Amino acid sequence: MKQIVFELFANLERLAGSGTCSVQAHDEVSTVADALALLARERPELASSLDRCACVAGDTIVRRVDPVPADGRIALLPPVAGG
Amino acid sequence: MDHAVLSHETVTVEPLLELDAHPECGGLALFVGTVRDHHEGQSVRHLKYTAHEPLAAKIIREVEATTREKYGVPYVRIVHRLGDLSIGDIAIVCVVRAPHRAEAFDACRYAVDAVKHGAPIWKEEFYTDGSSAFVEGCCIRDDMDDATARPHRHHSHTSHG
Repeated sequence: MKQIVFELFANLERLAGSGTCSVQAHDEVSTVADALALLARERPELASSLDRCACVAGDTIVRRVDPVPADGRIALLPPVAGG
Repeated sequence: MDHAVLSHETVTVEPLLELDAHPECGGLALFVGTVRDHHEGQSVRHLKYTAHEPLAAKIIREVEATTREKYGVPYVRIVHRLGDLSIGDIAIVCVVRAPHRAEAFDACRYAVDAVKHGAPIWKEEFYTDGSSAFVEGCCIRDDMDDATARPHRHHSHTSHG
């Protein structure tokens, strides 16, 4: 088991009621997509918002097919509206 | 290139203009986005900008560099405000110095649009009726493989623009 920590922003943070949430993942959770599927099962209130989120590790966007970042942290960025 | 592109404090335009530099430039285009008191029929009291700061700063710097290269202009400077803002406060400043006005205008528009569509910054509006909402924005996933993000939704991008 490993812990995956999701950092939440904007409406996602509001939906979850906190700025981060964690899931305990089995070894078969290897990609970002796997991690998101697990999050959707454990936090159904977030599930419908995940598809339009970009995933970020550090300051780099990662793709669904990429492995879970080594530090286990994934930032979930919902659609942006600056300016 | 380590100037601040995100600011938690009030943004001041004047120092960003660099009027004492760039003698080869005869054009300066400036866009200043300010907080408006209404949005889609609702009366806005104030708003809050938040960001994923490491990626937002990286993307804004990339927009500055891309704009310089794309339009052949020597100076592009963008600052986006974060935190709590009141009506009339400056939300974003974009300055372009260029030899001539045409590329200054074009580059300035391009840079502002690119930041609005690409930088992970969110606007939460607080309305006079006591409610609040995050403004619907642009999906910045680059691996969307279904129709969820298409067509790219631009309906709310008229803010400040």
